Amino acid sequence: MNNKGLINLCIALLVFSSAFAQDSTLVKKEPWYRPDYATIQFAGNIGFISLGIGYQFFNNRINSEILYGFVPASISKTENINTITFKNTFPVINKKHKIITTTLITGFAVSYETGNNSFVKLPDKYPDDYYRTNAFHSTFFIGAKAHKDFTDTIIIKGIDFYSEIGTVDTYLWYAMSQKINPTKIFSLSVGVNLYF
Amino acid sequence: MQLSNLLDKIKLLTLSIVILLSGCDKIFEFSPYEANVKEECKNTTAKNLHLIKDIQIDSDTFKFAFVTDNHYHYDNLKTVIEDINKKPDVLFVIFGGDIADQALLKEYEIFYDIMKNLNKPYLTVIGNHDYNSNGEIVYKQMLGDYNYSFEFNQNKFIIFDDIVWESNKKPDFEWLSTQLTDNNKYKQVFVIAHIPPFSDQFDGNMEQTYKSLMQENNVSLSIHGHIHIYSFRNVYNDNVSYLTVPWLKKPTYCIINVHNKTFDIELIEL
Repeated sequence: MNNKGLINLCIALLVFSSAFAQDSTLVKKEPWYRPDYATIQFAGNIGFISLGIGYQFFNNRINSEILYGFVPASISKTENINTITFKNTFPVINKKHKIITTTLITGFAVSYETGNNSFVKLPDKYPDDYYRTNAFHSTFFIGAKAHKDFTDTIIIKGIDFYSEIGTVDTYLWYAMSQKINPTKIFSLSVGVNLYF
Repeated sequence: MQLSNLLDKIKLLTLSIVILLSGCDKIFEFSPYEANVKEECKNTTAKNLHLIKDIQIDSDTFKFAFVTDNHYHYDNLKTVIEDINKKPDVLFVIFGGDIADQALLKEYEIFYDIMKNLNKPYLTVIGNHDYNSNGEIVYKQMLGDYNYSFEFNQNKFIIFDDIVWESNKKPDFEWLSTQLTDNNKYKQVFVIAHIPPFSDQFDGNMEQTYKSLMQENNVSLSIHGHIHIYSFRNVYNDNVSYLTVPWLKKPTYCIINVHNKTFDIELIEL
């Protein structure tokens, strides 16, 4: 399985998209680091609840988010699971309705997990190349979001509700290389973005 | 009016997604590292030990199959299981570890679902890969104890966790030794552990301890996986035979034909 290549590609895309952050913020004349929106997500293999900040790049063709996801021990049935995720969402088609806009979205995320027997560098007790790092996973998703702008409020300028169907790189690889029922590998997530 | 129309559409969409996904195990998943094993999948070893206890035979001779090192070769595991299902004289199956590769709950669940199709009981020993991530917890929940033993037709089977690096502990040779003390009560004793004593993870002392325990307690056969190849020999020039069974990169497994005081091995390559 060529996870490493996939992760490298994801990171490259992230770096690429961040490089353009300054351009879009110049237009807005706001500090470059000021996020465009805050996000909260339930499930999706990046945490039970994930909180993060998001940026809109390339005239809203890419939405990039940094999220912290948490699964309490009571739900994970192991230790608390802490996950840092870089998530990239691509709006595919917009449809404007009277008061809201619905959008078909797709994207991927790269997650780093700390603890839970995961490691970035192979511990010394193992011979070289005994295991690859198991601290990173990518997720892939497709979904829909509904957006509404608020014209009469000062702080919150808009809101998104979204839902996604997604899977994890390892699961996807198994479903593609082995005869595994695809419904076994997909799960649902829901979230809200608040624009300011 | 417009808003309620739209809400209806969203409701309909959500509902269809939920229905679409209701075929999966969980609609919401929170992390690949989760260890929340479904209730119905718990205590598999204990359930299968009960099934083995209920098998009645009126002959000294019987067969069991040894399958090992699945990692992620689920299709080959299926092929092997289907083949074993066609052999009614194989009474049970022992799986030699490396059920999973990254030891994620999902991997254990896929394995569990495939093994549900086996028409006879199966038991497992934990492999080194099965300890990765939260695999140790998943294994305990889904399967059960790492060390256990059972009796079948006056033969003793000892399932022994000998993982060193991933488990951060030394194999419990004291437990193994205690289990072997009553060896003279049985026609034959079989010991099953994932890593063979002559492979990586065992230092000289551990290898010596394992070898001596087998030698001094009339163990007929010590069965392993881990090294991914077939080998069957008296490694230490004593009375103990050591069998290693190939991994499932190809659909292969072994059948052990147990006779009164002897046994023979069949390598099946599908």
